[in-house]
Amino acid sequence: MEVKLQVENEILDKIKHTFHSAEVSIPRKQRVEVKLRNDLIHPFLAYLKDTLGFKHLSHISTVDWLEEKEIELVYIVMNYDNLVEVIAKIRLDREKPEIPTLREFWPQVETYEREIHEMYGVNFLGHGNLTDFILEDWEGIPPMRRDFDTVKYAKETYFNRPGREDAQDVRTTITKKSGEEIPELAKVYSVRHLE
Amino acid sequence: MEVSYDKESRKIVQAIERFARKHSLWVLAYGTGCGAIEVPPTMTSRYDAERFGIRGAATPRQADVLLITGYLSVKTLKRVIRTYEQMQDPKYVIGFGSCTINGGMYWDSYNTIKLLDMYIPVDVYINGCMPRPEAVISGFIELQKVIAEGKAEGARKYKENLDWYRANQQKIIHNWNMPDYNW
Amino acid sequence: MDSSTWIKILGYIITPITAFVVGVTYGGIVRVITARVQNRFGPPITQNFWDIIKLYSKKTAVHHGLMQHWGPIFAITASVTSLFFIPVLKDSPLWLNNSFNGDIIFLLYMMVFGSLGMALGAGQTGNPNSAIGVARGLALMVGYEVPFVLALVAIMIQFKTTSIAELMAVQDGFSNWLIFQSPFAFIAAILAFLGMMHYAPFDVTFAPAEIASGPASEFGGKYLALMQTSGSIFTFAKLVLFTDIFLGGAGDLVTLIVKTFLLYMIPVLTGIVNPRYRTEQAITFFWKWPTVFGIIAILIVVL
Repeated sequence: MEVKLQVENEILDKIKHTFHSAEVSIPRKQRVEVKLRNDLIHPFLAYLKDTLGFKHLSHISTVDWLEEKEIELVYIVMNYDNLVEVIAKIRLDREKPEIPTLREFWPQVETYEREIHEMYGVNFLGHGNLTDFILEDWEGIPPMRRDFDTVKYAKETYFNRPGREDAQDVRTTITKKSGEEIPELAKVYSVRHLE
Repeated sequence: MEVSYDKESRKIVQAIERFARKHSLWVLAYGTGCGAIEVPPTMTSRYDAERFGIRGAATPRQADVLLITGYLSVKTLKRVIRTYEQMQDPKYVIGFGSCTINGGMYWDSYNTIKLLDMYIPVDVYINGCMPRPEAVISGFIELQKVIAEGKAEGARKYKENLDWYRANQQKIIHNWNMPDYNW
Repeated sequence: MDSSTWIKILGYIITPITAFVVGVTYGGIVRVITARVQNRFGPPITQNFWDIIKLYSKKTAVHHGLMQHWGPIFAITASVTSLFFIPVLKDSPLWLNNSFNGDIIFLLYMMVFGSLGMALGAGQTGNPNSAIGVARGLALMVGYEVPFVLALVAIMIQFKTTSIAELMAVQDGFSNWLIFQSPFAFIAAILAFLGMMHYAPFDVTFAPAEIASGPASEFGGKYLALMQTSGSIFTFAKLVLFTDIFLGGAGDLVTLIVKTFLLYMIPVLTGIVNPRYRTEQAITFFWKWPTVFGIIAILIVVL
């Protein structure tokens, strides 16, 4: 096991040596997870790209931590030589999420940042093109935030065909109508769904 | 006497028109949702919809049938309305897949419309998620029956109830920035 | 008026109708053949009639300007006028025979007129696809007109005549057909004919998957029906012209149908199995081999 994770451990050591405040772990083979301070994300990604050879930005993902009042940005970068992916995580204030853009590192992040801006309301400073992307004329809180009630919004905004008010389990509905018994095997799933 | 003769001749003309309309349906190739992937097999060798006179049209001006293939987001609905209003009478709409009927698997989505017929008139619905090419062809044959009976009056309905449709459309499209078409 | 005048007037009515029916039927047959080549069943042969009737029965409420309404009318005027000056049958009182000295040159101009009218009409619709289609169509026309004119000039020099009727009179036997008397001119003309019919590989003008049917993209309903009618008549006119010049004309309708159909199969069968040339590739093609054959034909005649 130790031998197999040699490359990952080397990267872990280098990161730890350079960024003392970073929490680094290896969740599994070919993955290195790094938790960073907000202001360190730019130097960190620059270090990965220029020194360690992580040329490829795979994705920027976002997690809304409603209870902790934080929004987490997840940057996934990859190295083509040893196929290791580094997952860099930063946490922003949920009330006013702001972070400088990454466009000068990878031009293609423009699309990711526009989408994150639209869906989570994260403001990317210096981006320059944070206009409507997928949603047009959206008003109110961004739809992918967890305090946004999508069912309520859909019911208020759109028309609903009668008979489609609830998301009932199909099997339960059918058995209710026909009076047939649910088989024991299927009951497990149905009951779990109803709870 | 003359009036009855006139009526008779109009009946004959109407019968010919309906027969021609029924046997020549030009479909606008406008892929709105995932159902667009079912249209190429319908048109090509295996299912060959051209047997029934169903053919792809290149532009809305030439098309008879608007095939709404799947879910419509607010953004796509805007384009669909513009496309529909550019088509020339008589025009028909086929709602394709359960998303157009009641929202389908997007029943709770914040950005997908649930009832297509509140925004544009629909002549025939094809259910399924997704309908197979056989179902698509059977839907077209249903449309042919409706046309032959003279009941495919979606375009007239749209023109007569334009205010109602506009109100529904403007309820979700807030910045109404669309040209008016002079049908 | 005596009976011959009445027969002539009848001819003016019957000829375009026959051309329309034959042209549209050929179109239907082409769709069936295409379907069979693609391993499909295909539409009925009458499909194109239903399409055209449906298009005529559609309402049309599009207005972009005067030329948009005149464009299809120019096209159909040009096709019908071209048809009137092409002898359909040899020595027939009913079918039109308006041949005169110089009608080949007249037809060369007349056949371009419709395309130019369509270009003006399509240009006014303001659709970018139309503009691209028009530009491509005119460029392609510059390509195929060169070998076509070269071939006709070779024939005109060879037989010292500019009249189609006299050319038909020259070809009195099977071995005297111009296809055997001046084969190089025929090769140049038939290659130009491929471009004239707008089938693949020279279908860059209408390119449905690429620029949404090109010049016709803003035309629907009755305008499109007019354009299809004009196209069918023009197809028949061109086929009869080629039959008259190279295949010795026809004495009766059955011979005419057989000859024109065989001639029509050349661009159709080429088109089914070929992909699409880009505009510059098409023009390069026309200015290479067909032009060389046309020049060879002229040189053989002159030297």
